[in-house]
Amino acid sequence: MIIDITVNDQPKRLQARSGDRLVDVLRKELSLSSLFSDCLSGRCGRCFIFLDGRLAHSCLIPAFKAKGSTIVTYEALRETVEAREIIAALEKAQALPCAFCKTGKIMAIIDLLARNPLPAEEEILEQLEMVSCPCTDPVSLIAAVGIAAELRNKRKFNRADK
Amino acid sequence: MRISEAYYPTTAAETVELLRINPDILILAGGTEIVGLQTSRVIEFPAQVVSIAKVQEFRKTIRTEQFIELGSCTTLTGLLGLSSGTLPQPLPEVIRSIANHAIRNIATIGGNLCSRNRFMDLWPLLACMDAQVELRSPSGARWASVSHLCGEDGAPFFPKATLLARIRIPLYSYNFIVYRKLGSTLYPGPETASFVCLANVEHGKIADFRLAFSGLKAFRLKDREMAISGRKTTSSSREIKNLIDEYKRSFSSQEWFDSRLFLSLLEEAFERLFS
Repeated sequence: MIIDITVNDQPKRLQARSGDRLVDVLRKELSLSSLFSDCLSGRCGRCFIFLDGRLAHSCLIPAFKAKGSTIVTYEALRETVEAREIIAALEKAQALPCAFCKTGKIMAIIDLLARNPLPAEEEILEQLEMVSCPCTDPVSLIAAVGIAAELRNKRKFNRADK
Repeated sequence: MRISEAYYPTTAAETVELLRINPDILILAGGTEIVGLQTSRVIEFPAQVVSIAKVQEFRKTIRTEQFIELGSCTTLTGLLGLSSGTLPQPLPEVIRSIANHAIRNIATIGGNLCSRNRFMDLWPLLACMDAQVELRSPSGARWASVSHLCGEDGAPFFPKATLLARIRIPLYSYNFIVYRKLGSTLYPGPETASFVCLANVEHGKIADFRLAFSGLKAFRLKDREMAISGRKTTSSSREIKNLIDEYKRSFSSQEWFDSRLFLSLLEEAFERLFS
């Protein structure tokens, strides 16, 4: 079947079978190499996309269901100021994730800060639990998200330096 | 692999017409349970499948003084996004305990109630809250209690060639709430179950007592609930023990869950209620 969707601001016409998962179609048809379909159950967080503005596991979405949707992947986000701030914060807190989970954790942090500019520790941990990889210790990750939130809020709300 | 036909109705009427043409058609809202429980790379669907997630009628929310009415395709995140105080307690807590944020972005309230394999997290609470569901089929529309989504054998029941259009939740508050979830938080398994106990306690007297426990099957004793409503919270320990024994006897005949776990939750709830 043919599925018309918008991916990273580009209208796309994808070919898929009824049982194909969205992650596989996006990887195969559009060569989006940030996406992996490891767990097929929403556990590993390596297939995160923004579907109509909301973070979603693309391995849990049948491709045909995405018809008419707007999808944003890490490929479009990595050059944004939000992603650059998060990477800088992860480096500063010495919490840079491994290659396995880096995109998933950055996507999860982008989503968290967009919903909540000042997340509590509990919320940070809950959000990052969606990416199951123990490469980074939770304390450093909390610190990194705190730094990223500072940078974001300073830029977005033109906040004065402390 | 079977190649299925996919349909994208834009109205509820079109969806019902599809059900009339093929009563076995699979209706998919979020699809997180159906897809998440399949471990193969390619998902198996029946010959025809309908995606209803974008039917506007199934996404509307109406609030009155007495109830909140939710379209069945309202996502769990959408429910949590309703303004603070809109949802009666402990509904927000129960929703937050379901899967993870990214799954809640896709999963819907209707899908949570329509599972054919087991009772998901919302059923026991909504059954205790006397929530109702609007069921639509080619023969018409009707409202039924959420409790009717449980068959006589205690297993989930959903009428054939029917779709769940809306859910109506009374905005009635309880001042005694016990909610416990047992087992996996991402996907429910045989070890997963939910325990709900609600009541209103005023001037040392219990009113509107409700208690439900569900997992692979559901357990609720409405006659016992009526017998407990009206009792004093200062009932003697012997009376409380008798109540627990009655529940214990009824539950021990059920073989779908470890009765010791149920009993410990029951004792905890009764200890708090009759303290």
